[in-house]
Amino acid sequence: MEEREIAFLTVPFGPQHPASGHFHALMKVDGETVLELEPHPGYLHRGFEKLMEYRIHPQNCVLADRLDILDPFPCELGYVNAVEKIAGLEVPKRGRYIRIIMTELGRILSHITWIGVLSMVLGFDSANKIAWGDREKIIRLNEMATGGRIYPCYLCVGGARRDISQEFVDETSKALDYLEGQLSFYDYFVFKNETFVMRMEKVGRMTAEEAIDLGATGPNLRACGIDYDVRKDEPYEVYPEVEFNVITREEGDAYARSLCRRYEIAESISIVRQLLNNLPDGAFRMELSPVWAAPEGESYFCLEAARGEKCFHVVSDGSPFPYRVKIRPPSLSHSLVQFPYLVKGSAIADVPAIYWSLDPGPADVDR
Amino acid sequence: MKKLTPKVIKSKGEARAWSVWAINYFTACGFMELLPWVGSGYDMERFGILAVPTPRHADVFIIAGYVTRKAAKRIKMIYDQMASPKYVLALGSCPMTGGMYWDSYATIKRVDEIIPVDLWIEGCPPKPENIGHGIVMAANAIKGGLEGH
Amino acid sequence: MISNIESDLKSKFPDSLLNVASEDKRITLLVKKEELYQILSQLKDTGFNHFSDVSAVDYIADKEFELIYHLWSHREKIRAIVKVRIPREAPAVKSVFDLWTGAQIHEREDHELFGIDFEGNPNLSPLFLEDWEEIPPFRKDFDTRKYVKEKYYQEDEQYPIVKG
Repeated sequence: MEEREIAFLTVPFGPQHPASGHFHALMKVDGETVLELEPHPGYLHRGFEKLMEYRIHPQNCVLADRLDILDPFPCELGYVNAVEKIAGLEVPKRGRYIRIIMTELGRILSHITWIGVLSMVLGFDSANKIAWGDREKIIRLNEMATGGRIYPCYLCVGGARRDISQEFVDETSKALDYLEGQLSFYDYFVFKNETFVMRMEKVGRMTAEEAIDLGATGPNLRACGIDYDVRKDEPYEVYPEVEFNVITREEGDAYARSLCRRYEIAESISIVRQLLNNLPDGAFRMELSPVWAAPEGESYFCLEAARGEKCFHVVSDGSPFPYRVKIRPPSLSHSLVQFPYLVKGSAIADVPAIYWSLDPGPADVDR
Repeated sequence: MKKLTPKVIKSKGEARAWSVWAINYFTACGFMELLPWVGSGYDMERFGILAVPTPRHADVFIIAGYVTRKAAKRIKMIYDQMASPKYVLALGSCPMTGGMYWDSYATIKRVDEIIPVDLWIEGCPPKPENIGHGIVMAANAIKGGLEGH
Repeated sequence: MISNIESDLKSKFPDSLLNVASEDKRITLLVKKEELYQILSQLKDTGFNHFSDVSAVDYIADKEFELIYHLWSHREKIRAIVKVRIPREAPAVKSVFDLWTGAQIHEREDHELFGIDFEGNPNLSPLFLEDWEEIPPFRKDFDTRKYVKEKYYQEDEQYPIVKG
């Protein structure tokens, strides 16, 4: 009787896949069960940290937008805050308010985009199309304030480039009312939908110790019970003056992560309303020359992006070009450390659900 | 009763022009302005464009955004797997000139060194109205007899 | 709480700590490379259980790399920054993969982009680049504009034209 060898099939979750963004992973499967997953990022690598050393600060603010395609405002905010911290600049109050209004609107946009993409990969096309339509409201607000739909190029060292008008304030209030109504619709249509709950509950579960060891931050960590939010623990800009809650859940599975993000949209709507009601008058930026140079020194600035903890480390040597810029992306740990860990032992059909419930940004990983 | 006369399709270009299927490949940041086209705001399905998951069913390859050296090999592989007649659309400034990353060591500067390109829609990223103008231009060119490769 | 951590470290590692600075919620240490692993291990036992990242800066004039570790303690809500200087020729430190699992991917990225060796890391294969034959690209002696002009652009006195 001849010897038979058992070999396992290697299936690519390839770069060209409707559910993967531009991210490649090789899965070793036994029937329908995934035994091991090996990620291969790098299809979107541009070498941002090297490119930033060749450009002056206004050019870097434009370039920093493209770090995370789905959530550009925190990237700009992090860079300008890190540079201002080296020089000890005091940004005028109205400029700070404008920055955080746009950042929180960007957080709502990122979470709605996430609902759309998650529904698409689960096969729930109706919710996908409705989410894409709701995105347009916030993108039109972006265009009204900054001129750019997706890439605003709005902040600069010392404040914001342009002021916001009264028309923008009125349109934002209307859009926030509309989005609050849509949230109750999403509750009924998506989050309490029996099929959605069955596909997401008890899938991709993490305990709190595992999550901390793997380096999770953002809603992924808060869904396991740890309340770490940089806006409350190391407050920056105007966050000490607004009131909001940090959303945590206990279960640690994909459904808990989804609910964390859904309630965060409601909190962001409330933050923007508080800021619009208390908007101060006055200057919105400091007048600095384009070739302004920070003094010698370095600084480390952390902020809470939609995906998690994003940190900027800037070293300056006294010239208009930064000496070194290091960016800590939140998605590096999501898609390269947590995703292979959570997928072991699950079915192939659950792989896209686990991947998008962690909310990775493929451009954020590669930079 | 009114007599119904059927519309006669006169050329193969007319048959191809309004049924161009695009492959579902989220290349890079230029793709963000194709998402409203997938949704019901701008809706590309009324132009006959569907997103298909496999290259073997696709007619057009939309390269939206910059192309890195690592992705360039895969793009060539996917292009070879598509069946003739096929068309290629480049979206954004990055595929054809290098764009904002002109001095990056990891991106290629002209994608038509690897595959031939039929239409280039400029912008960073181009607005959805620009993309619609480009799609209609391409469909009219196909109707007028543009042969794919 | 920060003063407790400071005095604890100063008593356990008297000759390795070159500088200790503390602010409102941050403590910054400059250490010698010999006892780096022990200091990081001691910080983990004190409660710094979240590993943010490890980054490198290339000080080519001093012929040194500076490695910077960023840690966070969930219980006390304090951030710790540990800096160490290693020589530029044959840079190597011990990996902290066994203390924090999430550290492995950051060390792999620094290995690929700077050429620093982390002894004990189970996987240091290339992450972002494929078939890369030059020196590690984030070092200061790699000029990315010169590389791109030679590889992709034609020779021209006025302005570069793309080849092809």
